[in-house]
Amino acid sequence: MTDNQNNELSHEQIRQDIANLRRKKSSQMSLVWSRFRKNKLALAGFVIVSIVVFIAVFADFLTSYDPLETDPFNRLKAPSAEHWLGTDELGRDVLTRLFHGSRIALEIGVLIILFEGVIGIFLGVISGYFGGWIDAIIMRIVDILRSFPVIILAMAIAGIMGQGVWNVVIALGIVGWTTYTRMVRSKILTIKEADYVEAAYSIGESTASVIARYVLPNALPTAIIMICIMMPTALIASATLSFLGVGVQPPTPAWGAMIAAGRGYLLKAPWISTSAGLAIMITVLGFNFIGDGLRDALDPTTKRN
Amino acid sequence: MSKKKNYWVNRIIRTIITAFGVTLIAFLILHLTKGDPVRIMLGPYASEENIAALRAKYKLDEPLYIQYLTWVGNVLKGDLGTSIRYNRSVNELIAERIGPTLILTGGGLVIALGFGVLLGISAALRRNSFMDYFSTFQAMFWLSIPTFWLGILLLYIFGLQLRWLPIAGMTGFASVILPILTIGLQQEAWFARPMRAEMLEVLSQDYIKTAKAKGLKYSVVVWKHAFRNALIPIITMLALRLPWIIGGSVVVEVVFSWGGMGSLLVNSVLSRDFPVVQAILLIIAAAVVIANLLADIIYSVVDPRIRTAG
Repeated sequence: MTDNQNNELSHEQIRQDIANLRRKKSSQMSLVWSRFRKNKLALAGFVIVSIVVFIAVFADFLTSYDPLETDPFNRLKAPSAEHWLGTDELGRDVLTRLFHGSRIALEIGVLIILFEGVIGIFLGVISGYFGGWIDAIIMRIVDILRSFPVIILAMAIAGIMGQGVWNVVIALGIVGWTTYTRMVRSKILTIKEADYVEAAYSIGESTASVIARYVLPNALPTAIIMICIMMPTALIASATLSFLGVGVQPPTPAWGAMIAAGRGYLLKAPWISTSAGLAIMITVLGFNFIGDGLRDALDPTTKRN
Repeated sequence: MSKKKNYWVNRIIRTIITAFGVTLIAFLILHLTKGDPVRIMLGPYASEENIAALRAKYKLDEPLYIQYLTWVGNVLKGDLGTSIRYNRSVNELIAERIGPTLILTGGGLVIALGFGVLLGISAALRRNSFMDYFSTFQAMFWLSIPTFWLGILLLYIFGLQLRWLPIAGMTGFASVILPILTIGLQQEAWFARPMRAEMLEVLSQDYIKTAKAKGLKYSVVVWKHAFRNALIPIITMLALRLPWIIGGSVVVEVVFSWGGMGSLLVNSVLSRDFPVVQAILLIIAAAVVIANLLADIIYSVVDPRIRTAG
């Protein structure tokens, strides 16, 4: 055997070791999943969120009313057999609007999370991996943006840019990404020191390939949990913008806007605000249960007992 | 010692950079509008003279950096500009409204901290008891309810149905209760959980065991030794939560028609009164930056281990 062949063989060996190390990580994921399944609250959250997703997808077929069709003869009708959750100030069926509202809530929530998640995770990886002045600049921008209360800066931005789904997403995402960047950055800092990264470098892999093949996959669980944990914030924040009058606006059946509209009829028709409020609460609670379960599953030391 | 000095030099530089960035954002936000900010502010029926006057005032025909320097220069001189909607100085408007806002944020903070610390400690002292589960569950509940909906709910129950408390406006002590409760209850969850964790951590330390072994009374161990040390990290938590408490108070001011800075901000955004929006954003962000610095200073004074270690 020549020296060259020898080298190649040992490279192959190292490659396999690294692959094994990564496989070990994925078995860790299944461990996390089995812990998650044992958590009753997390499972309850999973069921709640599944139901909400189901309603959002099939909203058109679940009731026989149109969410936008007004009915002047049936304004502010109390819950009945025809209108299970009553009608609103324009005679629209509250349950139908609630169902369609879930679609808008999830749609905006997912868009916000994708928007801020992609930016935040990207900048977090760069900041953590390269350090130095890139890190310094990114972290200062994070500091600056976090000096503003999220809802206040988002309200100002959305208010000035005008109403609309994308403006809400951008307004909330502009501050939101900083949370991901911080979390991912600190995760990357620990991964960077790991043996398998050193091993990958020692066999001559490029920085780009190390990031793509070892750093990113290992930071992925953190990122996924971040996304589950950030969903409640995104839902609440976008509903709040609707409520303040700078988010998704009437006649679109957004939950926040429904609460705002029902506010004027609290005594006469409390079902308008109450149903929308409960819908937000239950959905957010579902996501919070999932997020909590995931956190416990990944870090069992924080769990009770 | 020099490490410590280095840390503080660094920290001050970071604060200055952050403060600079904050003014930049508050300034640039005006330029997010599509079109001429002055025309948008003055509305479609503004006379050309008024438009020209306002453009000259904000030096809008000059390059962006001149506009910025003019604005920051005025702010540093203590002039926050003139409200277009009220045609009054922004300083005056804010001076009138900062008091009511401080009452809400201050009161909310006291409730959040008080309830949070008490619940956290009682949960930690009786692990896995009813109290512990109650504390966790109620925290989850508050975290899942939007501030504005909690406010409306409290308003509906205690104001409209039971008629115990006023539903809107600033009419003496009774009118403060619901807004403060809304902010406080919601934020309490953020203190209860860390407090529980800190307390558990401290209680497992050697010096607590020593104190117990010395034969000290349980209450002395808990309150004099454990509680004090567990409280230290909560200071940082306080600074971290401040932006959220201020944000919450803006929403609560709208729900309860409270005449503070928050409702002024929302109205100014909706009516495109940009000088007011810029000024309030700046004041709030400055408060957060200062609070963060203060929290760091207090933290290092209370717990000198922190800064010398690293």
